Amino acid sequence: MAGELEGAKSLSGLLSGLAQSAFHGHAGITEELLHGQLYPEVPPEEFRPFLAKMRGILKSIASADMDFNQLEAFLTAQTKKQGGITCDQAAVISKFWKSHKTRIRESLLNQSRWDNGLRGLSWRVDGKSQSRHSAQIDTPVAIVELEFGKSGQESEFLCLEFDEVKVKQTLKRLSEVEESINSLMQAA
Amino acid sequence: MKNVFSSLHLQRVGWEARAGSGSAGPVPATSCLAMAESPPLREPVLDAKSELIDFQWKLGMAVSSDQCRSLKYPYVAVILKVADHSGQVNSKSIEMTIPQFQNFYRQFKEIAAVIETV
Repeated sequence: MAGELEGAKSLSGLLSGLAQSAFHGHAGITEELLHGQLYPEVPPEEFRPFLAKMRGILKSIASADMDFNQLEAFLTAQTKKQGGITCDQAAVISKFWKSHKTRIRESLLNQSRWDNGLRGLSWRVDGKSQSRHSAQIDTPVAIVELEFGKSGQESEFLCLEFDEVKVKQTLKRLSEVEESINSLMQAA
Repeated sequence: MKNVFSSLHLQRVGWEARAGSGSAGPVPATSCLAMAESPPLREPVLDAKSELIDFQWKLGMAVSSDQCRSLKYPYVAVILKVADHSGQVNSKSIEMTIPQFQNFYRQFKEIAAVIETV
């Protein structure tokens, strides 16, 4: 049985399934599904603790956002402890984290954002020449459409009109933010 | 693309104001000449545009959460105060990652460059 639990391909699939369920919000990935698809020969009472162990390890790695040094140290410790993992399993987990780390982190960040997130920005500049109500000549306007929404919810749209003065004012505020970001990055 | 459009004038679109000429042509309330475009906009409803009255911002750092003990995630949060066509004022709060903000800023700089040439 241990031999089957060591299979690299199955473990890789298991970690993918766990990531989908724990981080990417995929609801349908049950223990039964993973068992049946990946480890059909293994008795359920053996599979369950194995799944729990792998889930725990993956969550620890993701929660600490481990870099590769931390990862190696962590996995080495896991191979040395009683009821831990094998070296082959450590290699599979290491490979999995290296290729999925960015995506998992992104999902975790999205989960931690409870306000609207910016989803899209489109714009165009219109030239107005004359209107029925005023004699304004050559007053261009920028039309900016913002798309935003809360995690898992439909997008909202905001359509804003800016004249040249407003564009410049907004740009000034945005440059304040940029300055602040640069200070933060330099301090880091 | 921006340079091609910037050479167009309204006369070429075939619309001119002719006061007192007895022209039967209707005078539209506004004329629109799209000068430069980013990816196609959804067609906005004529009165659906709002005006930005104010915007507040903060630069934050999410340190930790129940899902992730080591978030280390800097973000920009803005509150946009907008007035719609009826004058009603609403606030919208939006959060963005640093790369998203930098793209936002870059787009605005482009808007400023284009609007100056119109």
